[in-house]
Amino acid sequence: MRTRLRSLIIGDIQFQFKYGFYFVYTVFTFFYICLLFAFPATIREKAAILMIYSDPAAMGLFFMGSIVLFEKSQRVLNSIAVSPVKVSEYILSKVVSLGLIGTVVGVLIAFAAGNRNIILVIIATFMGSVIFSLFGLMIASKIQTLNQFMVATIPFEILCLVPSIFYLFGYQKPFMLLHPGIIVIRMMEGKNIENIAFELLMLGIWILMIYMVTYRIVKKMFQSVGGVKL
Amino acid sequence: MIKVENLEFSYTKKPFIKDINFEVKKGEIFGFLGPSGAGKSTLQKILTGLITNYSGSAIVNHTESKNHDDRFYENIGLDFEFPSLYEKLTARQNLKFFGSLYNKKLRDTEELFHKVGLGYDMDKKVFEYSKGMKSRLNFIKALLHDPDILFLDEPTSGLDPSNSRDMKNIILEEKHKGKTIILTTHNMNDAAELCDRVAFIVDGRVKALDTPHNLIMSKGATKLKYSYYDKKEIIRQCPLNKTVEDSKLLDLIQQNKLLSIHSSEPTLNDIFIEVTGRGLQ
Ligand SMILES: Nc1ncnc2c1ncn2[C@@H]1O[C@H](COP(=O)(O)OP(=O)(O)OP(=O)(O)O)[C@@H](O)[C@H]1O
Ligand SMILES: [Mg+2]
Repeated sequence: MRTRLRSLIIGDIQFQFKYGFYFVYTVFTFFYICLLFAFPATIREKAAILMIYSDPAAMGLFFMGSIVLFEKSQRVLNSIAVSPVKVSEYILSKVVSLGLIGTVVGVLIAFAAGNRNIILVIIATFMGSVIFSLFGLMIASKIQTLNQFMVATIPFEILCLVPSIFYLFGYQKPFMLLHPGIIVIRMMEGKNIENIAFELLMLGIWILMIYMVTYRIVKKMFQSVGGVKL
Repeated sequence: MIKVENLEFSYTKKPFIKDINFEVKKGEIFGFLGPSGAGKSTLQKILTGLITNYSGSAIVNHTESKNHDDRFYENIGLDFEFPSLYEKLTARQNLKFFGSLYNKKLRDTEELFHKVGLGYDMDKKVFEYSKGMKSRLNFIKALLHDPDILFLDEPTSGLDPSNSRDMKNIILEEKHKGKTIILTTHNMNDAAELCDRVAFIVDGRVKALDTPHNLIMSKGATKLKYSYYDKKEIIRQCPLNKTVEDSKLLDLIQQNKLLSIHSSEPTLNDIFIEVTGRGLQ
């Protein structure tokens, strides 16, 4: 891996650690696993998938706001904007660092629920997390307060979560298979393995499109460190 | 190293930075002086590529700053007006992180800490630092990757005289190593001591630009100030090269009635007031 990107990722992980993300998610993991066993065994796996999709995978959508706001308020973003860090490296680092912890938590929950498609769970959680984190970063780049962030994430949460919940609990239509969240959920369920290449391709396209929008917004944020709205 | 031509920029529709032209050579310390809100930090942001929608030209290290790529920053060190550090990390962790973003070989971190008197505070978290300590840390952060051009925005503000002295010595050391330095300051004594040339900036324009010595010599004449008693103490002054024409002074000397007499050379601050029509706040 290129050294600067690696440094950034290590920096982000260190930051997330200092601000207690790792602690919080250790507690959450424990709590989720306990909660799982409150469900009847028949729907335990489904419940686990919903948990993973709506929390560790969606972590970026909840926490990117505070991460970026810290960087703005401590003016760390200024220091980064006048260093050789590329916009793409900045984005990748955020996405990968959150993706790692999200995936670890996801795998633990899935395993506890008896899901044995661990490789698919890893891929699906990570890719889902990338999508949520990109949305989070997009919003975080635009806002000035945590409240604004919370409000602005609501439509994204609805769009990402509601169709997936419908799908998971039985409302299934073919066109829904284009929804990235539903692809992620199907992958976690280990369904449709024969079409995995197509699903990966679909997720890849989604990620690429969302990344391109995020890139433009983050680039503007870097430039606005100079104080100019472009 | 730096060449600015017909530079214009504004945050709003109203013109602000206008008609700026100057050049800075390698190894020079160039000062931006001016009252608060004059546009010094803005000018620095343009030169460091943070503001890109200017017109005219600002060439820094052979690159037009608005067209810079990421390598541009390998050779630029910035000491912002305000601390720009991770508060929850220690000072050492901060430098380690920011240093790791450069491809260049870094300077010895511990030595830098010792140079600014933070040798014993390296492992304290930044939020435990005082204002002056943060300023010093921010300063060495700019030196870490040994850049060719340094932009220092009020580096000595908020420092006690001894720390300020240390910092000025480091700045001079960097100059002697051939580094080019842009220094923004409100402190006229620092400017006169450190800068090879200074630009007086007022309302977004350069009002005067020369060596501190030339500015003092060309703009202000040395004055003779004297006082005498005539019912109450009266203070008068005349230019030193016109003492013969001051008959009152000659009389007083004849009658041995002077209470005090001394010459006073103008300072950079006097010149500033004269050139700009206002004082530094
Ligand atoms: N981000 C910004 N958006 C809009 N206007 C700004 C912005 N930053 C600065 N200005 C305005 O530009 C002018 C110059 O500001 P600048 O920071 O360049 O002054 P300065 O000379 O550095 O002052 P000081 O000595 O107080 O640091 C001020 O009128 C300020 O209000
Ligand atoms: Mg300023």
